[in-house]
Amino acid sequence: MDCKDVLGTLEAYLDGELGRVEARALEAHVDACADCRAQLDRLDALRRALRDPALRAPAPPHLRERLRAAAAALPRARRRPAAWLRYAAAVLLAFGAGGVSVYLWTSTRGDDIARDLFASHWRALAATSPVDVPSSDRHTVKPWFAGKLAQAPLVQDFAEQGFTLLGGRIDYAGSERIPVLVYRHGQHLADVFVLGAAAAPASTSRRGYTLQAVTLGGQHAAIVSDMDAEESARLGALLSAAH
Amino acid sequence: MSSAMSAWIDTLAQQHLDAAYNLGRWLLGNEHDAADAVHDAYLRAARSAHTYAGGNARAWWLMIVRNCCLAKLATRKRELPLRPVDEAAVQAPDAPADAVEEQAHAAQCRALLVAQLRALPEEFRETLVLREMEDLSYREIADVLGVPIGTVMSRLARGRALLQRALSPAQESKHGL
Repeated sequence: MDCKDVLGTLEAYLDGELGRVEARALEAHVDACADCRAQLDRLDALRRALRDPALRAPAPPHLRERLRAAAAALPRARRRPAAWLRYAAAVLLAFGAGGVSVYLWTSTRGDDIARDLFASHWRALAATSPVDVPSSDRHTVKPWFAGKLAQAPLVQDFAEQGFTLLGGRIDYAGSERIPVLVYRHGQHLADVFVLGAAAAPASTSRRGYTLQAVTLGGQHAAIVSDMDAEESARLGALLSAAH
Repeated sequence: MSSAMSAWIDTLAQQHLDAAYNLGRWLLGNEHDAADAVHDAYLRAARSAHTYAGGNARAWWLMIVRNCCLAKLATRKRELPLRPVDEAAVQAPDAPADAVEEQAHAAQCRALLVAQLRALPEEFRETLVLREMEDLSYREIADVLGVPIGTVMSRLARGRALLQRALSPAQESKHGL
């Protein structure tokens, strides 16, 4: 890394958005370069000043009370039968459609997670890049996760089998930060969400996208993509055999 | 709305009330309008809970708060173009008269920082508030503002550069910031 690279990434470094490998390279440069160190110190001084608790007043108790009062005034009781009807209609539809999984509005936790995973996949498709660390090298992707999460997932490239590792990103499932491995298969993009000990939601589909529950290195995981069931199952088999 | 969903919105709003209020205060410049905007945001969130498409719930809630603040700003600009912002509201607390010199200096630096941050254009100010005071990641900020991550990064860089330039006399003085 030269001074130009370092000055361009100092802020990402202080914001905790730099991968571990890049962060180490930056630290090595800053140790040896007084000019870059001075700029790092200036940015850090500004950062500490902006994080002074005196600049951030907590919400006053009266606002907390005001929201509670507003909550109590919302016409909830009146709406309950409607919600109940919606639920009943959804159940009827689920049985009527014969095994088609229907997303119930009053969702269970598994449904919440599935919703998060689909949303994350769609957001990634809409974003400029679906990955935060673009690399087909698992020796780059795994340390990047290790620097950001307590447990890095098993990372393996299956380019020879038709599933190319594009990289990884971190997203939320509920309030948990979880690693996401991104693979390309032909024109399809597949996200592999590594859920760890948390149970994966049941396999389901939504708007033409499928979610398939799989295992990766003994951890629960879920593939979300627009691949057909057969291709998704092939990736699932590769992941469960990964070591 | 199901009662489970409304309980979820209530918890979400109460849990991130300080963040919502702080964002409102820095966007609107006074406590009264900030509280009103947060109240509006709560009602809007309760009405539009079904539009929540998963993902980071805090970012979703702060996006609604921000939209309510911008709506208030737009009304204010239309109705009272010359209304001065309430300077006292976010004034840093003054050090007591008998405080030692260092405390006085720190308070002075803080007051200068508050003034400069308030003078920043809105887009840089809100990005810095979300990053430094609320500790949101680039991706979360991008979700709140509805802009790409690259835009978040360039706004942070520009905002910090502007602040550094504005504060440089203070940084050169004996204690720095």
